[in-house]
Amino acid sequence: MAALLELRGITKRYPGVLANDDVGLTVAAGEVVAVLGENGAGKSTVMNVIAGLIRPDAGDMLIDGRPVRPRSPREAAALGVGMVHQHFKLVPTMTVAENIVLGDYRAGRLLLRPARNAARIDGLCAELGLAAAPGTPVGDLDLGARQKVEIAKALFRDARILILDEPTAILSRQECDQLYEIIRRLAARGVAVVLISHKLDDVFAVCDRVYVMRGGRVVGERRVADTARDDLVRLVVGGTLDLPRRRTGAAPGAPLVSVRDLALRRPGGPIVLQDVSFDLRGGEVLAVAGVEGNGQAELIEALAGLLPPATGRIDYGFLHGRRPDARRLRQGGLGHVPGDRHGMAVLGDLSLEANVMLTHFHMPGFARAGLLRRQPAASLTEGLIGRFEVRTPSTTTAIGRLSGGNQQKLVVGRELNHATRVLLAAHPTRGLDLRTIAFMQGQLLDHRDRGGAVLLVSSDLAEIWRVADRVMVAASGRLRGPVAIDEVTVEEVGSWMTA
Amino acid sequence: MDDRVTDWRGGLGMAAVVAAGLIIAALFVLAAGKSPAAVFRVMLGHAVATGPGLAEVMVRAVPLCLAGLGVAVAFRCNVFNIGADGQLVVGAILATAAAAMLPPALALVGFLVCGIIGGAAYGGIAGWLKARFGVSEIIVTIMQNYIAIQLLTWMVRGPMQEKMGMFPRSDAIPGAAMLDILVTGTRVHWGIVIALAATGAIHVLMRHASFGFQVTVVGRNPLVARFAGIRDRRIVLLAMLVSGGLAGLAGAVEIAGLHHRLQDDFAPGFGLLAIAVALLARLEPLAVPFSALLFGILHVGSGAVQREIGLPFPVVWIFEAIVIFGCLGVTAVGRRKVTA
Repeated sequence: MAALLELRGITKRYPGVLANDDVGLTVAAGEVVAVLGENGAGKSTVMNVIAGLIRPDAGDMLIDGRPVRPRSPREAAALGVGMVHQHFKLVPTMTVAENIVLGDYRAGRLLLRPARNAARIDGLCAELGLAAAPGTPVGDLDLGARQKVEIAKALFRDARILILDEPTAILSRQECDQLYEIIRRLAARGVAVVLISHKLDDVFAVCDRVYVMRGGRVVGERRVADTARDDLVRLVVGGTLDLPRRRTGAAPGAPLVSVRDLALRRPGGPIVLQDVSFDLRGGEVLAVAGVEGNGQAELIEALAGLLPPATGRIDYGFLHGRRPDARRLRQGGLGHVPGDRHGMAVLGDLSLEANVMLTHFHMPGFARAGLLRRQPAASLTEGLIGRFEVRTPSTTTAIGRLSGGNQQKLVVGRELNHATRVLLAAHPTRGLDLRTIAFMQGQLLDHRDRGGAVLLVSSDLAEIWRVADRVMVAASGRLRGPVAIDEVTVEEVGSWMTA
Repeated sequence: MDDRVTDWRGGLGMAAVVAAGLIIAALFVLAAGKSPAAVFRVMLGHAVATGPGLAEVMVRAVPLCLAGLGVAVAFRCNVFNIGADGQLVVGAILATAAAAMLPPALALVGFLVCGIIGGAAYGGIAGWLKARFGVSEIIVTIMQNYIAIQLLTWMVRGPMQEKMGMFPRSDAIPGAAMLDILVTGTRVHWGIVIALAATGAIHVLMRHASFGFQVTVVGRNPLVARFAGIRDRRIVLLAMLVSGGLAGLAGAVEIAGLHHRLQDDFAPGFGLLAIAVALLARLEPLAVPFSALLFGILHVGSGAVQREIGLPFPVVWIFEAIVIFGCLGVTAVGRRKVTA
């Protein structure tokens, strides 16, 4: 099979980092190829080279055997390269159809005329199994549907090479299966698919071949059918992997947070969660399982003092009756890892140090007489970088220049530093590589063993079973449980999630 | 905290804006049939190379610097205070009205403090409306400008008019409330020291104080601010109080140091010019005095051009417009690079 896309000797150097070192790969029409690797292995750089977002320092890219050098995503699109980013590039206020044609001059140069292409758009939506009408605003769609819109956008531009960046990171189990099915159909139609991932499940579910990257280099290439899981894991991490075994803690202590008859809504929105009552106790990990979008985000924001309850109450023993707000909760020993890192937890154009100061400026020792003290923030940042293996040139680098995984490591480290009592963590290991996931889960358990409480929101049942002591399930506007993790099976929890 | 890494690039961008402004202004001069070289020679020759010219530049730069600092604080918070004009006028009115009642020992300090209070209160209205109800501060401050200017027009013809009742102006303020002349033989007064001290204070406030850090965070992203435990609405209100207070101080200094009485149109367009000053300084307090000086040079220089070349040439306004557009453009391009 002749290669549709070929990379030869791609090298890209950033200050202090060799992001890609002599990377080569080929994809044939109708083939699904995975690029597998840990965070910072260089996967994103490869993909951005193909998509025309990055120009390599050395190396060649060939399409149909002809050398090409796309200098922008538009040029790459003209060559038949379509890219679906991990963080979608859609306009939420515009409709599905408008988003699909947006930026494609053939659909009208001055005005968007989705109606002219209605038949094609309808066809694409049907092919991708997008249930929403083309006139629906994208902001009303769930993440799975938005991803389909992104794929439709690429196919509308006649993409022959489709690059998917961590496409399953934000999807539920069921949505993943749908995506795999779509990928298979596209491959059967002759589209070459490159799937960037750090999940072995993706590789075995849908890929023909896999390239494994580590430290900017391709360290192995395998046919998936002839490869064992262990073999790939060893290639990815460059050794053997130690997942923390489930450790049971001491008996849980007194309730740190008591939630009674809570109902939540976004301002101006409908009630998303009601009749919620539970205690979060010191020395336990309480997990909230569930398909995303069932009120978990609102629950964690309410507990962090960012969303006032519609009805009911949340009592924090450590506030001694003072009104809870985000600052008092932080000062009282609460850390918060939000699910939406980009929207909430960091300011991308500020330095790592400033991003640490961000949540610490009102903590004792970080300011004196209204003036910030730089030294404590600098040394805390240094410490977090060391302990959480954040790969960064320096503490003064803008955090937005780091890979997503490295940003997440700093955020989790920073919030653990706040959490002397309670850690609220939404998907703390999402987007991280296997070794870092194991490390993070170990950190959560250490925090618990020091007497802290963890509320863990996760859509990954395997993770919940590794770290949680009790579990609740969010489904259809209510929370089921909590029940001790030893008293339920994965199957039971799974059935509650879909009930 | 620092984001100075990219500052030199931004500085280049601003230099390009200034160059573009001068070139486009030169084209207008050409269109009027005069030689741009001669015009700029007269401008610089008068405004920079002569003692009296330079003194006038500094006199003009003082209120621009103070009001420009105020605009920079608000803009850093993403609060678009277009109302420096109104806050400046209200500060001047309150200070002048209070002048006669102040004990002589506290006359000057009291005068300046009244200016700050007047400007802060007037700006605080817009800040409170934004923080409490989400009302657009742009609309409110623009409207407030008209109200303040009408208020001034009425005051100097009504309640505050001089005893003679001849001119639309107030009586002179007591001598104890006046700022002394700093350089004899010129109009350069102690206001320049106040402007530089304010620059230092605002620099420390924005760069090293917890307040300035919170302002920056709220300005970048209010969601992140709330997440971090910053009371973002309170910061918006405080930023408007500081911003209005500086504009009010500019008004009081202008009266105490220069006019010594309230009169119609004593600060024409200073508030809008302050926006250009702040933008050209990239909202960086330490750069504001230099930016204010540049606009002072343009103002004094274009006066000389009118007299000597006979070209009624509002180069300041052309330049101001280009600087505002250019700065917005450079900022927009800079934003895109960061997010890419």
